[in-house]
Amino acid sequence: MKDPSLARYHLSVGLGRAALRIRRWQAERKALSAKGWNSQALTPPLKISPYTKELVARHYLEGRYANQGRKVAWVTSGAPVEILKALDFYVLYPENHAAVCGAARLAEDLAVQAENAGYSRDICSYARTDLGALICGRTPVGSLPRPDLLFACTNICQTVLAWYRVLADHYQTPLIVIDTPFIYQQPGEHALGYVQQQCEAAIPLAEQVAGKKLDETRLRETIKHSRTASQLWMEILESARHHPAPISVFDQFIHMAPIVEMRGDPQTVDFYAAMLREVHERIDKGIGTVKREQKRLLWDNLPLWYRLRNLAEMLGERGVALIASSYTNAWGELAEMIDPHKPLESMARVYLHPILNQGAGHKLTTLQRMVTKYQLDGVLLHSDRSCKPYSIGQMDQRERLSKDFGIPALLLDADHNDPRAFSEEQIATRLGAFMEILGV
Amino acid sequence: MRAFSEPAKQRKEAIQKHKERGGQVAAVLPIHYPRALLRAFNYLPVEVWGPPQIINRPSAAHLQPYICSIAHNALSFLLTGGLEPADLILAPHTCDSLQGLGSIILDFIKPRQAVLTLYLPRGGEPESLEYLAREIQSLYNQLELLTGCSPSMADLAESIHREEAADRALSELYQQRLVLPLDSPAFYRLIRSREYLPAEVFESAARDVLSVAAESAQQGGTPILLSGIVPEPMAVLEAITTAGGYIAGDDLACCGRRLYPPGASPAPFTRMAESLLHAPADPTRGSPIQERFEWLLDMAHRTGARGVVFYEIKFCEPELFDLPVLRKKLMKSGVRSTVIEIDLNDGLTQQNLTRLEAFLEALQ
Repeated sequence: MKDPSLARYHLSVGLGRAALRIRRWQAERKALSAKGWNSQALTPPLKISPYTKELVARHYLEGRYANQGRKVAWVTSGAPVEILKALDFYVLYPENHAAVCGAARLAEDLAVQAENAGYSRDICSYARTDLGALICGRTPVGSLPRPDLLFACTNICQTVLAWYRVLADHYQTPLIVIDTPFIYQQPGEHALGYVQQQCEAAIPLAEQVAGKKLDETRLRETIKHSRTASQLWMEILESARHHPAPISVFDQFIHMAPIVEMRGDPQTVDFYAAMLREVHERIDKGIGTVKREQKRLLWDNLPLWYRLRNLAEMLGERGVALIASSYTNAWGELAEMIDPHKPLESMARVYLHPILNQGAGHKLTTLQRMVTKYQLDGVLLHSDRSCKPYSIGQMDQRERLSKDFGIPALLLDADHNDPRAFSEEQIATRLGAFMEILGV
Repeated sequence: MRAFSEPAKQRKEAIQKHKERGGQVAAVLPIHYPRALLRAFNYLPVEVWGPPQIINRPSAAHLQPYICSIAHNALSFLLTGGLEPADLILAPHTCDSLQGLGSIILDFIKPRQAVLTLYLPRGGEPESLEYLAREIQSLYNQLELLTGCSPSMADLAESIHREEAADRALSELYQQRLVLPLDSPAFYRLIRSREYLPAEVFESAARDVLSVAAESAQQGGTPILLSGIVPEPMAVLEAITTAGGYIAGDDLACCGRRLYPPGASPAPFTRMAESLLHAPADPTRGSPIQERFEWLLDMAHRTGARGVVFYEIKFCEPELFDLPVLRKKLMKSGVRSTVIEIDLNDGLTQQNLTRLEAFLEALQ
């Protein structure tokens, strides 16, 4: 290898990968004996968990050294990333990084750093977490690579546009925006054409930064991996139709990392194939996520990254399994739209249609459909202070679910990453009252 | 010269006159939309920026408390019959909150009036231009279905020219701001009458004022720029004057960010799209921070403004994201700034007044 920095990159990543593999084996051995699992209400976590940890850790490990050997793009979670993957970019998802900080209970400290620098507490807590990390240089993943390209897609919110404008100014890095017109009721054909045109226009700039031409075969291959992984993910989610449900929403939140940040990679397909096998095993053995499943609920909106285990325990103790989520569902429900033979057209269609880019009525229909499909007893709607597009409409949705369809539904006020907007007592009281309604 | 001392009364009169002439009224949510298209269908666009200081309890059944007061008030106004005079509601896509508001009005509230939406693109040109032209054309088709009218291309062109003339007059008012015999409250009442007056009436009122422009500056005090969404409560304008300042220019979404240049294309839909997309930098249209900074700095240089008051509505993400970087850049260029956060339903608090006074004193 002639380039010394590239050689350093491969050496560092190679050594790190080996260390992570060893750590995974150790964790798997420990998991097999189920030692250390002390929950009265919940069954032990999926055996695949060390594999997930390895994948995520490896991803951030590669990011740590990426500036030495690869071009780096920072992208939003709903962006048509296949273009960048096919151009060999190392792809970092700031939203995911913020979630990692949230789960590691570091988000508050980092958000305060951003607030001290002038960012309002009223802006998204993912953005504040990441901007805080950028300002103070602290992150639980070691370090983040500097972006050569920023790639933002508005299909999840307009917030990302504002956030990435800040990043573009900070790093003086080109920003590609894929703007996806919001679908109030029906998408216009011109919206599809507009998104496709932007994807086409993005390619030359991405190629310029990557220093190479996009290989169409590689793009098709990447899209195929995205489709297969999304299909497998959907199958995994649908396994929760079984009684007892073999996986919970909390499992889904933990294991969704690869479908978000490693979409388009062949190893993501392998990972979800392995996860599906384990889920089938659980079904065969009659293992549920909650030890005595009595009621089944749906979760709407982003998770509370800093309270996953507590919430799972709180519900599990009452025999309540939280088994379906409109959020995790969003990463699988569009799988059938992905067509590797029509790469740009199908990318435009898929990335135009996420639930977050569609009207409040569409979300209500999705919630109702999921309630029927998964035979659910109620819905928990997380009114997320940091995610306005997901949260606006929930008050009407709750009303319709309860009054028009007889589905008990509860609104919980919190924030996906900022624990300061979470009140333990209030949530416990509201959940307690809701469970009484459910009869558990 | 017309006096715009009672905007609410003027608004009612404008609606009444238009209806008497057989026209209809379109209630329009903020910010950008093709006025000329609505007028070509004989709809008078009347904008709904809140309105401020109303009881917004009805909206609390639909919107969470962390949604901005513009969305809350607009919904409360609708739910309490405030939009009854309107025959149509147009909800342009401005931000996540107004997107959500438009969506729940369409899907859940379902008012008597037809509700139409318009997506304002944030991508690069030429894709955005082509998209917006087609989006406006789609709006034309929906209005055609709604009204049974089909304005010809010539009708559209005439309507566009009328609006462009009004926009030119608006720009001239800004250019001659210093020599106009209007204090800040009077100036902004005139500027904001564009939110409800027919273009030709606004143009005539603007020309009246421009015709009595003096040769030398009529305004005294410390010149500042006002940035944000909307100058409500309007008492803030008087407070600035009282504290020894005057507003030499603005970067307000309802005012200075809508100094639309005329389009260039002979094709009406494209021309309307060009005009909207080429307006001054605006965070809700996804303008880069550097572009906003250059626009503000240039305005400060042109007007001699010594500082910027960012007058922000609570929870307004597009505005809030830019502030730290924007303020830092301005500071480096010698332009100081302050941030005042407000809610449309609060009066101007003593805390904000003090901050304003302290800022103006520091500039003096």
